[in-house]
Amino acid sequence: MASIVSVNSLSVAYRSGGRDVPVVREVSLEVAEGRTLALVGESGSGKSTVAATLLGHLRHGSRITGGSVRVDGRDVFALSARELRRLRGGTVAMVAQNAGHALTPSMRIGKQIEEVGGDVPVVELLEQVRLPRPAELARRYPHELSGGQQQRVAIAMAVAARPKLLVLDEPTTGLDVVTQRSVLDLIAALRDELGLAALLVSHDLGVVAHLADEVTVLRSGRAVESAPTRKLFAAPEDPYTRRLLASVPRLDDAGLALVGEAGEREVRPKAGVAADAPVVLCARDVTIDYGRTRAVHGVSFDVRRGEVLALVGESGSGKSTLAWTLAGLRTPSGGTMTHEAGDLNPPAHRRPLPLRRRVQLVFQNADTSLNPRRSVGEAVRRPLRFFGTATGRTDAAERARQLISDVRLDPALADRLPAQLSGGQRQRIGIARALAGEPDVLIADEITTALDVSVQADVLRLLDDLRRERALACLFISHDLAVVRGVADRVLVLRHGVVVEEGPTEAVFAAPGHPYTRQLMAAALEPDPDAPTFVEDVAEWEDAAAPDDLWTDHGDGHRVRRWSPVNAPIAEGVS
Amino acid sequence: MLSFLARRIAAALGTLFLSSVLVFLAVQALPGDVATQVLGKDATPDAVAALRGQLGLDRPAWERYADWIAGATHGDFGTSLVSSRPVGGEVSSYLGNSALIALVTVLFAVTGSVVLGILAGLYRDRWPDHVISTAALVGMSVPEFVVATVLVLCFSVALPWFPAVVLYGPDATVGQLLPAVWLPALALAVVMAAYIVRMTRTSVIDVMAGEFVTTARLKGLSTWRVVTRHALPSALLPTLHVIALNVAWLAGGVAVVENVFNYPGIGKLMLSSVQNRDLPVIQAIALISAVVYVVCNLAADLGAMALNPRLRTRGRTR
Amino acid sequence: MTTLAAAPAAARAWRTLRTSRTAVLGLAVVAVHVVIAVLAPLLTSYDPIANDPAQALLGPSPEHWAGTDQYGRDVLARVLYGGRYALGVSVAATVLTVALGTVIGCAAALRGGLFDDVLGRVLDAVLSVPSVLALLVVVTALGTGPAVIVLAVAVVYVPQVVRVVRGAALAVVPADYVTAARARGEGTWSILRREILPNITDVVYVEFAMRASWVVLLISSLSFLGFGADPPTPDWGLMVAENRTAITVVPMASLAPIIALATLVVGLNLAADGLSKAWGVDRIREGS
Repeated sequence: MASIVSVNSLSVAYRSGGRDVPVVREVSLEVAEGRTLALVGESGSGKSTVAATLLGHLRHGSRITGGSVRVDGRDVFALSARELRRLRGGTVAMVAQNAGHALTPSMRIGKQIEEVGGDVPVVELLEQVRLPRPAELARRYPHELSGGQQQRVAIAMAVAARPKLLVLDEPTTGLDVVTQRSVLDLIAALRDELGLAALLVSHDLGVVAHLADEVTVLRSGRAVESAPTRKLFAAPEDPYTRRLLASVPRLDDAGLALVGEAGEREVRPKAGVAADAPVVLCARDVTIDYGRTRAVHGVSFDVRRGEVLALVGESGSGKSTLAWTLAGLRTPSGGTMTHEAGDLNPPAHRRPLPLRRRVQLVFQNADTSLNPRRSVGEAVRRPLRFFGTATGRTDAAERARQLISDVRLDPALADRLPAQLSGGQRQRIGIARALAGEPDVLIADEITTALDVSVQADVLRLLDDLRRERALACLFISHDLAVVRGVADRVLVLRHGVVVEEGPTEAVFAAPGHPYTRQLMAAALEPDPDAPTFVEDVAEWEDAAAPDDLWTDHGDGHRVRRWSPVNAPIAEGVS
Repeated sequence: MLSFLARRIAAALGTLFLSSVLVFLAVQALPGDVATQVLGKDATPDAVAALRGQLGLDRPAWERYADWIAGATHGDFGTSLVSSRPVGGEVSSYLGNSALIALVTVLFAVTGSVVLGILAGLYRDRWPDHVISTAALVGMSVPEFVVATVLVLCFSVALPWFPAVVLYGPDATVGQLLPAVWLPALALAVVMAAYIVRMTRTSVIDVMAGEFVTTARLKGLSTWRVVTRHALPSALLPTLHVIALNVAWLAGGVAVVENVFNYPGIGKLMLSSVQNRDLPVIQAIALISAVVYVVCNLAADLGAMALNPRLRTRGRTR
Repeated sequence: MTTLAAAPAAARAWRTLRTSRTAVLGLAVVAVHVVIAVLAPLLTSYDPIANDPAQALLGPSPEHWAGTDQYGRDVLARVLYGGRYALGVSVAATVLTVALGTVIGCAAALRGGLFDDVLGRVLDAVLSVPSVLALLVVVTALGTGPAVIVLAVAVVYVPQVVRVVRGAALAVVPADYVTAARARGEGTWSILRREILPNITDVVYVEFAMRASWVVLLISSLSFLGFGADPPTPDWGLMVAENRTAITVVPMASLAPIIALATLVVGLNLAADGLSKAWGVDRIREGS
């Protein structure tokens, strides 16, 4: 089969401070017509840079330092401006990561698709990407669409001129699980229907396993391994690939996977909670409002000492709102929240100091949770002094160094500024800062979402270790079911601020009772092209909970909100 | 859409109300009221008191404020202490003359500076940018009176193309004033353009680095189309309010320049009324300037609505 | 702690200066102006305010490098001394303006709500009156002393500084490290000082340099109009006003103060530009 893309020992560098910094080093790859190649790598691997060269695009300040890129038989970087435009318009098209930023805010959807050229009417294109009421949608502006719809529009725009090759740069990152799944399915269907070749850039091995025919793994700008997808996932050869694959949490891991240097994988059984462990945190019928909209609706749960309770849900489920409220950053409009040591309903500054320090929050994004102008040592020392857990200045400094080494970092890092640390190191400092108050409840709000998969594995392991060492109760908030399966003792599934299912992790994963839980599990992508779907059927449903009869009880604390099946099909593409 | 507009108009009226109170209070705080100004320093206290009663100055401040505002809405700002003519008529004849300068300035400065700013932004860090940016830096570093003086030196003294000073009073016709408009307008335009150029440049650079511009490029569109259809609507958005502020600034900015050229405009009237403590005139000018400020900002809001569909489609849901 | 905080700050300042030639150039120009103003008596033997009718309206010569004005005063001496008034009043006015503006701006950003709304309206109302007119009114009411002018400039420019600082602080307030401090239950003042101020110092410094250039311009315009420095104070704006009519006879008498004024403002602007570029402060977008 003929190659539509042939990249030959390509090297790219950008100039910084008068020096050339290589971002891509001698990468070669081929994409055959009608086939899909995935470029996999963690942040900084140069995967997006390589992808953009297929359209003859380089970031400001970057240049080609060696090699060539040929698309459809033509050397992309030797084309004249006019020829390059024709290439971009007709032969290669790109779907960018964040459609919300990639669509021009001041131009109607239809106009943006139309100006690509091509002979397919806009309405037909919008139908093709399964968008409802295409004629009306074409007259809308991007901000009037949901994230999933925007991404579908971006895809329609890409296929408008019927190109031969699609470049997909993290096409579903940032979308919710269910939306991600439907967008991926759409991409796969369109690709087959139109016979397109594709270059898929992704950090998500699940997405890759689902979509790609071949895979090239990039690390620090170098291709470390290239193989057909099945072969790569079944028998990875390079140690880095093996580690990468082993680091991905699986839906069927009964505990946390510990990954060795060579990529060997060992699932550590969960610590378990002592039968007589006291309840440290108790929420009853908590309701939280944002102005007139209700974000959390009558949620109740207990967390016992040494227990990890996971709050699972998509964006808008109210899980982070709940976390922030427990941390005292908002006040609930109804219900009660209590800690062993006192009432948690008042905001943080009204809680007594000894109570305040015992419930601590770790933030999702370690990049913004540390003050960029203060050393990380100061970030840890401040709560030590503020909560009075350290007695004097020297004691605080000593304790801070201890805490930093407790989170498996070199205490010498204490004098660094956050910008001088890696993302994983910053997140560890975030945890150390939370530990400084000597809490017994740790609220972890999506703490690994922004991290690369291998770093995520390390941070999860740290969290698991700490919980064993300190008998911490932990409220673990996540959208990632596989991660939850590995760390949580109990699970609470939230949808639109309402708990639809709760129970021991094993019970919920073994027999998910609510269709929404099943839908989440069905949408999850395993890093294995031959993985059987975790959940087969998802019923159409509607809520059937009555005020005095909310739950179907499955025993052992596993209960499911009442629902009843409906037969009406859900309109496709509405996300 | 309507709610956005309604809120902006309400805010503008609020601002206007506050400014009028502020102006009124500030003038009240000036030493000496109208009666002492009219009668002079040597007047007997009785005479001053009598005049106060006659002018209604002994009434409470809020009543006088209400009177003043009520009059102002009909164009009645009281009587000038210097010329004894109605302030409204006097101010409007000066204002008309200044409007002539303002019109020419805005026309040239705004269009010219936006075009230059876009050029500088598109040719970032290359020679057109260096030339334009340096000129803008110099333009904003030199006070108006210096620009005006240099212009006189060049185009009235060295090359006698334009008059250095105006010899007509406030009642001059447009025809009489027209030759004298260009130099003051140019002086104001230089200062005003500098800010707009810089703002436009920054904004264009920002937007051109944005993801949607990259996407538009990668769609294979021509540079012209990418710039005019995709980048500019977003790039001009933040520029609008800077333009509005600068146009509003003209209301005060003309003071110096008109003084240099002896041009019979509102700025010159402002100076002389401050010198003569002609309180009703000062009040009127301040209020009119506030109106200009508020109107310019409202116009910018309207422009923003035209450029930003988010502001227009607020009511519609997903 | 102080040493720890000071070391990175100093290192950063040094790095900034090394990378931004624009900033270095601007700061150097300003520094030269300061040195000249301080050392003026050593640089010229002429008295800047002594009249000498016999020497009136002379062109440049070895005795009077920049000539003399209509009263026979040495133009160079007046220009050298003129920096004292311009710099002294401008620096005082800028410090006051930026300090007040920073405090109010931060408070508005942190408190938000009604306080912020009302403040915004009041500031808008102040802004709606032309600064020249406001300044003239204050000066007529209270006299033309330097203290009055400093005060008047503060009244006119504080609203604009508040807007800029408020914008910068608003960008910091939602950051997670501020949230973390709030979750600890720290007080408003402590959050302001520990978390917010360190992250907007760049904006404040750049605003200071920028605002100083505006203040110099405004004060010289005021002097030019006859409402600023009282004759015979050596002041650049006043000198241009005095010598403008004789510009064809002794051009240097007008040009010398113009050059002094322009170089000072260009220096301040270059410094502001260079610093904002080196620190990534987008001061124009911050809403002035």
